[in-house]
Amino acid sequence: MAPSKVLTGQPKPTAISGVVTRRGLATRQNKEFIPDASQKQNLFKDTRIKRKADASPTKDKVTKRYALGNITNAIGKTISTQIQDAKKVAKKVTSQPAKPLTQTTANTRTLDKIVTCKQENIPQSKPKQSVTRAKPQLKKEEEKTEIPAPVIKALNAVRRSIEVEKSDESSLYVSALESLPEESKRLSRTSKDSAKIEAVVKPNNALNQEPEGEKSGPNDRINRNPCPVRKLPPGVSWDLDAENWADHFQVPQYAMDIFEYLKNREKLFVITDYMERQVCLSKWMRSLLVDWMVAVQESFELNHETLYLAVKLVDLYLTKVTVGKETLQLLGAASLFIASKFDERIPPMIEDFLYICDGAYTHRELTRMEINVLKVMDFDLGIPLSYRFLRRYARCAKVSMPTLTLARYILEYSLMDYATISFSDSKMAAAALFLALQMKDLGAWTTTLEYYTGYKLKDFADIVNVLNEGLHRKQKEALSTVRNKYSHKIFFEVAKVALKDKLEM
Amino acid sequence: MLDFCQCTRILPARHRRRDRSNRNIMQKYEKLEKIGEGTYGTVFKAKNLETQEIVALKRVRLDDDDEGVPSSALREICLLKELKHKNIVRLYDVLHSDKKLTLVFEHCDQDLKKYFDSLYGEIDPDVVKSFLFQLLRGLAFCHSRNVLHRDLKPQNLLINKNDELKLADFGLARAFGIPVKCYSAEVVTLWYRPPDVLFGAKLYTTSIDMWSAGCIFAELSNSGRPLFPGSDGDDQLKRIFKMLGTPTEETWPDISTLPDYRAFPQYHLTPGLTQACPKLTARGKDLLQRLLVCNPALRLSAEEAMAHSYFNDLDPAIRNDRCQ
Ligand SMILES: Nc1ncnc2c1ncn2[C@@H]1O[C@H](COP(=O)(O)OP(=O)(O)O)[C@@H](O)[C@H]1O
Ligand SMILES: [Mg+2]
Repeated sequence: MAPSKVLTGQPKPTAISGVVTRRGLATRQNKEFIPDASQKQNLFKDTRIKRKADASPTKDKVTKRYALGNITNAIGKTISTQIQDAKKVAKKVTSQPAKPLTQTTANTRTLDKIVTCKQENIPQSKPKQSVTRAKPQLKKEEEKTEIPAPVIKALNAVRRSIEVEKSDESSLYVSALESLPEESKRLSRTSKDSAKIEAVVKPNNALNQEPEGEKSGPNDRINRNPCPVRKLPPGVSWDLDAENWADHFQVPQYAMDIFEYLKNREKLFVITDYMERQVCLSKWMRSLLVDWMVAVQESFELNHETLYLAVKLVDLYLTKVTVGKETLQLLGAASLFIASKFDERIPPMIEDFLYICDGAYTHRELTRMEINVLKVMDFDLGIPLSYRFLRRYARCAKVSMPTLTLARYILEYSLMDYATISFSDSKMAAAALFLALQMKDLGAWTTTLEYYTGYKLKDFADIVNVLNEGLHRKQKEALSTVRNKYSHKIFFEVAKVALKDKLEM
Repeated sequence: MLDFCQCTRILPARHRRRDRSNRNIMQKYEKLEKIGEGTYGTVFKAKNLETQEIVALKRVRLDDDDEGVPSSALREICLLKELKHKNIVRLYDVLHSDKKLTLVFEHCDQDLKKYFDSLYGEIDPDVVKSFLFQLLRGLAFCHSRNVLHRDLKPQNLLINKNDELKLADFGLARAFGIPVKCYSAEVVTLWYRPPDVLFGAKLYTTSIDMWSAGCIFAELSNSGRPLFPGSDGDDQLKRIFKMLGTPTEETWPDISTLPDYRAFPQYHLTPGLTQACPKLTARGKDLLQRLLVCNPALRLSAEEAMAHSYFNDLDPAIRNDRCQ
């Protein structure tokens, strides 16, 4: 089972305020170095560890940096030298007993080298006032020094190799696949749980009945409402939410409503063909930008939702505003910046975003673009995302992890494909899942899937073809990030699954 | 910068968009008085000079050298833009000028805390019922639109003279996914924070708000006396367990795997909630008991709570409100 290295013993996050703690990546950094104090399996700790791109082997990572370097002007060289350095440092470090890296002077010294050679890039970090919300109730923020972005990057590289060396297969799985490998555990836990819950539940649990006088016992013996019986259409194999009733992390009582609601919102975020009007841009540039955004998502360890939301913001903005090519990457960075603030528990800091643009933009340009995007969006970021639908649909169909991962690859790959920008996200999810099922010879679109997606095959068949054509298209070297990412074994090497020329539709 | 050199099109000079940030937009509003001190700015009562409408303005400063729009403000704006409901404070508009954002809200007469403080005697039991129902209805709306509030407390509930109640202050709110992921454990003001979060749980769901709703229900029934006014996390948990009994692995499977779990004594079962909320009817106590369940998996949802028999005699005018 995966070591739960992330969530225990981590320095207490700061203020309660929703204001982003200023420590940003520094915090991410610190938590990584906490020794695996609690290796013991822990539901609340290791089920939800988000995907750590860093768990991928160094080689893979270097390729990625290289890919990134390839498409950037100046930064390419610096980054690769930096990685070389970092690797050397990593060698030294790993030969020492594993200690929290940030605290050992030796390590700090070795890192100095990297830092000093990148002097000009060190952001001036100054202690920021933390905002505390409630009066006596809240603990004061601990003093915390910030680590400048370049150092973080170097540390990242170091940590990466350390982790690779000490992590075993299973931890790779957990970290790489985000919420997924937990499935099996979750299932077993759920059944265990529901057994326990049943034991606790009193036989009589109708709410609308007269409570028995003033009697009150230990109140955790209170039962929960029974799962309402949902009438399923004929041919639908199971009621997923009823099966999940005991697992409140699946939010079973709201899941159906929420996805229905999200589907209804799709019409509020229509993206139209904008390339005609964008005289300075081309589809190729957009693909290049998205490829870069995927690379950023990986190296900042962002949620996939953040990536998908950011790409949406780019397209919605371009639907409404004409931009020059020199502004395109700024738009991409600002979109990632906004999406991170919206979705991430600990979003990266603005300096990190400026850094990954290799200083091409100023602080002020980025914050201006942030506001511009928000205004064009009219501050509505509740955009339905194909990634979310896909997870739901895959669960409803109870497909295996490799199949879901293949569908995710198809979806993420399609982010670069301009031909897909105006499709509905729920249909994209359905189409990606269908194509994955086809590629693995797992059969057709079932009644169960029709019920949960609300779509018949014919509703999204055209999208399936577009996705399949996209996979067949000869891949340019500059757009290899997604394919490389999903070629790794932690992603079941799904990018290597044989393509289908003919689909059964 | 990304190198777009291989790109085929030849690019004309950059078309620079004019910045249309409106400097005199604030002249549309006349500030009347300060009504609250916000986390990221002051809240003012103001009058729209065109329509004479009274509004509340919440200002967010945007410092040049800062992180741009604070994520709490960004989430509050974005989520409230989406949540249009009678029991949720309406965000009319967001104004941007160079150094600040101004959020324009519908104005309410006061918050529930001030209402408690200015109270003579007790709150009419029917009003308690009506307030709780409206709170639950607003929450059910948030939850069914994948939003957690995460900071319910009397200061963040707004009240009108006609006994309308609205959820406000979405500065800690966030959209959640299905299944939920790890979110911050540093949420909810201590007195209203559920035991799972007090034990450091980062994995939580809509139940986080249901606990706060339970605490507020008890407080309403006691005319504003908080149920669990703890001084720190330990004291908070102690107060809770003394009132409700210390949970065990049997009542709360896997409790000991929570990040900050620590053992507490098994306190003797006291009459507990019954004594703490003497003014509630038997049905009211039953509902309260089902909200204040330590194990988050067993806490009632907002919808389930609204269906509880405690609300059987709710004023039909409140129940049937269309809420748009
Ligand atoms: N729309 C409003 N109408 C009346 N009073 C308000 C309104 N919005 C906020 N307030 C008052 O201002 C206080 C602070 O506002 P709030 O939105 O809770 O900001 P904070 O995030 O700082 O807590 C509230 O407790 C309330 O008393
Ligand atoms: Mg407040």
